[in-house]
Amino acid sequence: MLISLLHRTTFVYAGKAHDSFNEVRLRPVDDAGQACRSFELRTEPASNLREYMDFYGNTVHYFDVAEGHDRLMIEALSEVETTPNAARPPVPEVSTLGSGSEREMVAEFLADSHYVPLDVEVWKEAKDALSGGRSDVWSDVRAICGHVFRKFAYKPRSTGVATLATDAIRLRSGVCQDFAHVALGMCRCSDIAARYASGYFMRSQRKHDDDEASHAWIEAYVQGYGWAAFDPTHDRPADERYVKVASGRDYADIRPVSGTYRGGKTRSLNVEVKVREAEAADASR
Amino acid sequence: MSLLSNPYDPGDFFDEMYSGGGEVRPHYRSLVERLGTLPLPEFERRRAAVDLAFLRRGVTFTVYNDSEGTERIFPFDLIPRIIPAKEWSRLEAGLIQRITALNLFLHDLYHKQKIIKDGVIPAAQILSAKHFRREFMNFAVPHDIYVHICGTDLIRDRDGNYLVLEDNLRCPSGVSYMMENRAAMRRAFPNLFQSYGVRPVEGYPEMLLKSLLHIAPVRDEKPSVVLMTPGVYNSAYFEHCFLARQMGIPIVEGRDLLVQDARVYMRTTAGLLPVDVVYRRIDDDFLDPSVFRPDSMLGVPGLVAAYRAGNVALANSIGTGVADDKVIYAYVPKVIKYYLDQEPILPNVNTYLASEPADRKFILENMAKLVVKSANEAGGYGMLIGPASSKEEVAEFRAKVAANPRNFIAQDPVNLSRSPTWCENRLEGRHIDLRPYVLCGEKTVVTPGGLTRVALRKGSLVVNSSQGGGSKDTWVLAGDK
Amino acid sequence: MPQTPKLPAPRPQANVMLSRVAHSLYWMSRYIERAENIARLLEVNLQFILDFRGYDDAHLREHWGSILASSGDQELFDKHYESADSRSVTEFFAFDLRNTNSILSCVFAARENARMIRDQISVEMWETINELYLFMKSRSTADVWAAGPYEFFQDIKRNSHLFQGLTDSTYSRSEGWEFIQFGKFVERANKTARILDVKYHILLPSAGDVGGALDTAQWQAVLRSASALEAYRRFYVREILPWKVAEFLIFSDSFPRSIHFCAAQIDEFLRRILGESGARPRTEAARASRRLLADLQSLTIDEVLKDGLHEFLVEIATSLEKISEEVVQTTMFYQAESTQEEQQLQQQQ
Repeated sequence: MLISLLHRTTFVYAGKAHDSFNEVRLRPVDDAGQACRSFELRTEPASNLREYMDFYGNTVHYFDVAEGHDRLMIEALSEVETTPNAARPPVPEVSTLGSGSEREMVAEFLADSHYVPLDVEVWKEAKDALSGGRSDVWSDVRAICGHVFRKFAYKPRSTGVATLATDAIRLRSGVCQDFAHVALGMCRCSDIAARYASGYFMRSQRKHDDDEASHAWIEAYVQGYGWAAFDPTHDRPADERYVKVASGRDYADIRPVSGTYRGGKTRSLNVEVKVREAEAADASR
Repeated sequence: MSLLSNPYDPGDFFDEMYSGGGEVRPHYRSLVERLGTLPLPEFERRRAAVDLAFLRRGVTFTVYNDSEGTERIFPFDLIPRIIPAKEWSRLEAGLIQRITALNLFLHDLYHKQKIIKDGVIPAAQILSAKHFRREFMNFAVPHDIYVHICGTDLIRDRDGNYLVLEDNLRCPSGVSYMMENRAAMRRAFPNLFQSYGVRPVEGYPEMLLKSLLHIAPVRDEKPSVVLMTPGVYNSAYFEHCFLARQMGIPIVEGRDLLVQDARVYMRTTAGLLPVDVVYRRIDDDFLDPSVFRPDSMLGVPGLVAAYRAGNVALANSIGTGVADDKVIYAYVPKVIKYYLDQEPILPNVNTYLASEPADRKFILENMAKLVVKSANEAGGYGMLIGPASSKEEVAEFRAKVAANPRNFIAQDPVNLSRSPTWCENRLEGRHIDLRPYVLCGEKTVVTPGGLTRVALRKGSLVVNSSQGGGSKDTWVLAGDK
Repeated sequence: MPQTPKLPAPRPQANVMLSRVAHSLYWMSRYIERAENIARLLEVNLQFILDFRGYDDAHLREHWGSILASSGDQELFDKHYESADSRSVTEFFAFDLRNTNSILSCVFAARENARMIRDQISVEMWETINELYLFMKSRSTADVWAAGPYEFFQDIKRNSHLFQGLTDSTYSRSEGWEFIQFGKFVERANKTARILDVKYHILLPSAGDVGGALDTAQWQAVLRSASALEAYRRFYVREILPWKVAEFLIFSDSFPRSIHFCAAQIDEFLRRILGESGARPRTEAARASRRLLADLQSLTIDEVLKDGLHEFLVEIATSLEKISEEVVQTTMFYQAESTQEEQQLQQQQ
């Protein structure tokens, strides 16, 4: 599927901002599930964009805007071709990781992280989800995510950008970010290495004024297969409608836009996201 | 009546000067002769003169514990610690070997991580290290040097063998005292100094500057080097000013620098001047609020971006703290073997890791007999000396270790060597260590000598300045006299 | 990005002067000078009132009112004090921290600036400022009144002179020196203009008082505020005439507190700071300084009086403000920004 994406972030400052230093993670990845055909990034005011690859393999663009400005706009346009569902190999039935070098390489994703502390509430939730007994990794992941899908309410504004997995568990609600964090915690408590995936999801039926936003899901490590993606918010595997931008331990590792500046305190933040199926002809650019 | 009228018994410790039964080691004989003929009042006079000179020159450090942050003179003992040439050349070789391996180690950790993939060090130990900087992954550093300035602490055991106590790879300090101490000794004992043939340490600032220039980005103009300090309230501020002045470079604070389009500039009366190399005496956490701690007022937003773009170089580099983590310390002999295929010339102190189940059991059961250290504290804090602690202190520490095992290591107590030190009215043995300074530039150079720190309190093993320590001049001889 | 001025090639590395350091040197110097001037002003006026028994209540209030007006702090004073008398004015100008122009405030600010650059100034300089600060902190209006104000003000002046003398003898003749001197003379010229303006403009005598004992005594006080009485007498010998006092304090090229003398120093140091070595000034500040100096070199007191002394003095104060502001903006520009304590803020999504 060919998907075109727009992600525009606008900060408006009360007064002027200056000496603004920012990092953005907005470029879709290239992997077995997708190929990024084109990517354009621009800012207003204009700036020199540089890039590097971070610890988790995400592409990071960084730039600074020294002079005073009363708003900062960051716009990313991309076209991604996702591997069709038919072409995706099925996830094998594999038991959890033994010890050994493979375990070493995913050690990060079995431990505590900022948004996902492996506290007692998370262990309990995991036990509840897997009360029927353990199976292979992928089946357990599906059980965990299904549990989250059923037992948690999707309620925008019930949580915030700082909500931890443990807070969400207590509230029994949240948005995709929280669903992902909770599912991650439960996987990790069950000895399943799992990581946070951020990106976009293309809705098959979109009402005209639907709020579009970034989306979050999880990827679990399956020995011999790699990272298998599942979306707890919709209780299904991530398929050709999903475009991945970044992955990490949790939200803290994948922030789409992050930085510091000097200037007035109050400001507003507006994020505009458009995810559309592109015509094949558009691809030739 | 001279200083040496009542030589003390070295006892169960290796003494630098006395080899037992009133015998003096060969390289101390000239010193003993001289001190033997020096009347006590004269010695006292010279001592007072040295103390006064330190006071007036402001050779101070600030103690964090006090609410007001008082400035203190770092106590100086006039009896030097002497190291003959043969002994030193072994230390030198060992230190060069160690820092070479550590630089290779750091490069590997922040690039391919082969040492983890080959199972030599568990990934979990690295990833959970407080100072492992994920932001620094795949970063290219000039000449692949991560640690440009290293201060490795050495001790001697009961048999006089040198052991490495710990490495200091972030912002090692104390070099200014080394130089001030040397100047003081020259003034106090000019003839003795001359006759001994002591290798000079005055070349340090020049060599340091050379190492800093070595990593400058290649440009047409002569590179501009600055020293970045947290400011007047930092305990080592005196040293920052001292080094900057000796090297002839500006001393700046974070707010004097700014980054534009990934290049670093200094705010001067002549406008913005470009900066190519920053010798930073600020911890990673506070270096750049746009990448590390956002509340840091000491850093420069965008500094890491400029470093990443290759437009500025930092010494020491970012993320070196992972290698001086006390837990990683335990793996250094393996590190040397892995990268250099050599046995370590200077051994570690035998270390137990609380994160390993077998070691953890041993530590918890034998805590009263061990020295237990927190992985990332410095200055002698976060440490328990089992044999010298009360039952309550041991119990309290045991709970801490049980709660967070990754954060602790333990070592068998070492009978640190002692050196004759003037204690009020007679010479007594006091425990010492040695911090030589290693500079990595085009060549790796070890300054002959370093800072010998002495625990001034009787029986104390803690040599840090903030906890009752003092220092001595260290004489590395050109020969073996 | 703010324009960096086109200046000649920068000096070798070790002699680079950070804007922040220049800023601190400049303000340390200005605040010490300011503290001394306030002390002198207070002392003279207190003495004057004690001496002149012919002062009635109305005149007394008017007298103190003029002092308040000269410092521009009338409104602030009225907010915190009931009436203007010797004690309340002394309190306000000597010890009140709410008044940024009180001696204590100035000494405090001078010390803060000195502390920031402690490694730049000599130990003696630091110790002197520190002692002045401790001295001020240990005194109160009550103490001063009990012991007699004269001693108190003498101590302050003595310390200020000591500081300036130490700076003279222990501070190398470098770029830092230039900022210290520039700050000192800008402050001094400003204060002299104000002292003169107060008398001429605010303490205008009624027709009957002109030339009278009160008027003459007030002019004497003006001269004493600038420590100029003896110098004036040496120059003019005879009686104290208003227009002669004005002439002396404005145009004398040998008396160190006259505006002309200060302007010459300001011009000299400004040119060094901005690297102005050519015959024609390149920067606005150098141009303004040159014009000011030219006026002070060529105008006569009659011309000034004809066009209005008050207007003339106000114009001088404005020129000085403009000149100093531009030097600050050019060389210490970024320092001004960071003192606004703007927050470093995070933004993320």
